[in-house]
Amino acid sequence: MFELLLLVGGGVAAGAFGALLGLGGGVLIVPLLTLGFGLPFREAVGASLVCVIVTSSAAASVYLQRDVANLRLGMTLEMFTAIAALAGGLIAFLLPDRVLAIMFAALLLYVALTMARARDAREAMGVSPGPVAGSGARARHDGPAVADEDGDRDTATADSAIDAGLAEPEPDSSLAASLSGPGYRIHSLGRGVLGSLLAGIVSALFGVGGGIVKVPVMNLIMGVPMRVATATSNLMIGVTASAGGLIYLFRGGIDPYVAAPTAVGVFVGASLASRLADRVDLPVLRLLFIAVLVVTAAQMALRGIG
Amino acid sequence: MNDARLERTIGLVLGAGAIISFCLLAIGIAGMGVTHVGPLDRPFPPFDLNRLGSDLVALNPAGFLWLGLLAVILTPSVRVLASLLGFAAAGERRMVAVAAIVLAAICLSAALGAGG
Repeated sequence: MFELLLLVGGGVAAGAFGALLGLGGGVLIVPLLTLGFGLPFREAVGASLVCVIVTSSAAASVYLQRDVANLRLGMTLEMFTAIAALAGGLIAFLLPDRVLAIMFAALLLYVALTMARARDAREAMGVSPGPVAGSGARARHDGPAVADEDGDRDTATADSAIDAGLAEPEPDSSLAASLSGPGYRIHSLGRGVLGSLLAGIVSALFGVGGGIVKVPVMNLIMGVPMRVATATSNLMIGVTASAGGLIYLFRGGIDPYVAAPTAVGVFVGASLASRLADRVDLPVLRLLFIAVLVVTAAQMALRGIG
Repeated sequence: MNDARLERTIGLVLGAGAIISFCLLAIGIAGMGVTHVGPLDRPFPPFDLNRLGSDLVALNPAGFLWLGLLAVILTPSVRVLASLLGFAAAGERRMVAVAAIVLAAICLSAALGAGG
């Protein structure tokens, strides 16, 4: 019973901590289960994928009802994240735990570096705590989506990415035009597809949502405003993790005794985070979190080296 | 069906899936507590669709846990199916094809997972 409560509590902490900092949770859950509870790496990834889907479904539900996510763009890119997640899930069962642990350590360092450089940690990771709770968060945009001050800045950022050579302007093909939203146009669909493939593989290999890849690709390369990119990434995470999760489910990579309490804890924690967000000193929390990521990466690498 | 209505409908599908999953998992976890099953007990019950019904009838916690986990994993697929139907009703062939490909990828995952 104590272990059960500990696992739920760990899930609550990971969910709250992750949501406050704009993480999907996988980056925290996998170390919690492997280093904290001694689970094999693949079982931790399986449980983490379940947690990622739960939080994605809850958040995307709110984003869609508030007309923030770009459904057409999300579904188009999902074709590639889902196929890549399928491949990633199969690869995960071929690689030794040690190799996966070392690769995960590298991912943690990348996340730490991204957070250290980001203007806003939540924007860097692509998930916001508000929608999980279904309250306390305002609609990101309604009607003329990016006509507000932030939206203009986001669109300008995307246009300046073209100027800086990060993105290629494309002629308004009918596909790109049909995927664009009010106030912005999609660029560099090909690069978006490549980013989606990478995000799908990362998701299935490491049990994360892949927002850390998808959000920057959509925002900086494809010209999608940050807030729409964040919401659309959330929408896509469910299908991506689901494609990987099915491989884990049928191959015995999901332990229901671990996955269920963790998922419930993460859901509750992420919901609580929206109520705590205004009372927490996020810059301090962010610094603390970067330190935790670096230490965890070292421990994970040591585990991998054996 | 217009875009806003479709997105709201899909949003409701996802929200309902999350709530149903959460409730099933919570029942299963409560059952674990009552029957003194620890999360680190080994071996854990394998996923077996044929046993799911009998486990639920017998109020075995594993049945609720697996049904909840299945609901979690399948909720995004139901969302894609709802999108496919919505786009079909609106006559958007390209998006119907996109949704069908996503669904096919998910089905292929299940098939390859089960086959391995």
